[in-house]
Amino acid sequence: MPLFWLLLTLLAYLGSRWLYRRSGRYLLSPLILVPVLLLAVAIPLHTAYAEYARNTHWLMGVLGPVTVAFAVPIWQQRALLARHWPALLTGMVVGSSASIASSWGLAHLLALDTATSLSLVPRSITTPFAMPLAQDLGGVPELTAVFVMFTGVLGALFGGVLLRWLPLRTPLARGALFGVGAHGAGVSRAQEVGSEEGSVAGLVMVLTGLLNLCAAPLLALLL
Amino acid sequence: MNTALLKKTLRLLAEMAVIGALFLLGGKLAAWLGWPIPGGVMGLALLLLLFACGVLKPAMLQLGAGWLMAEMLLFFIPALMSLLDYGALVRDEGWRILLVIALSTLVVMVVTALTVEWVCRWSLHREP
Repeated sequence: MPLFWLLLTLLAYLGSRWLYRRSGRYLLSPLILVPVLLLAVAIPLHTAYAEYARNTHWLMGVLGPVTVAFAVPIWQQRALLARHWPALLTGMVVGSSASIASSWGLAHLLALDTATSLSLVPRSITTPFAMPLAQDLGGVPELTAVFVMFTGVLGALFGGVLLRWLPLRTPLARGALFGVGAHGAGVSRAQEVGSEEGSVAGLVMVLTGLLNLCAAPLLALLL
Repeated sequence: MNTALLKKTLRLLAEMAVIGALFLLGGKLAAWLGWPIPGGVMGLALLLLLFACGVLKPAMLQLGAGWLMAEMLLFFIPALMSLLDYGALVRDEGWRILLVIALSTLVVMVVTALTVEWVCRWSLHREP
């Protein structure tokens, strides 16, 4: 059945989205449940990635138009950006540098191979930006997508705990924590904390992705 | 058929077609200029330009852009399935990779939040 994997992917996605909306349980969110379900079917069947991707890879092509759509939140939040750009820009530059340095440094410390280490470097930015960045750096874009997913899952969990421990008085800092640290999954968490935190996180997520992608030639020289 | 739903669906499709066209145009433009920029980023810049000139209003694309961003997860699920080819990597390096991701994520979140907080307090301090 040629369209089996495409249909299963769509069904798993729609089912998990419905379940998550009804239950609100984090473990049932599509970010976790869909890959787990698909792997649970594919691994016993000894499916190779090429076989899975044959009829599903075009879905990844839609990530390009998603990048274009990011112009809407940037434009809508331009007043926020105009007012607070020094704090947000400093946070994004320092946060991204910390992300790249700690991913690369820890990967070397734990003796991971070069392709894996390079694929870890873009892990804290949103997937539509992280995959082309991995390509530019000589990593594996698909592996980067996996690392980005784990970053989102862990970041959304850590963020709530950190908010209790860190002395953050401004919604700007609380939003930036989620936007720079945990991209899309973080933005959803930030929206639960507050609407201002959510807007900041969404704006910062997109701008951090852009910033990292623009820094790609520099990073390629450094790494 | 419910006409309101039909109208909304057509509108969604039309908005996504505009966004898709900007993506393709962005790719062509980047290739023509010879810039090493993904088509999506070029399209994003074009769309910002159109907003700035007043040719398009964000409200005109709200539905399509919102849908694309809300369902983004569906579009990168196929990439996650690349794990099927990395069984050995998961077995040999899986825990170390997870440790890198967890520690680095903590570092990024703490550093970012404290930096933004400090800059905010510092600028509040300066302008009374």
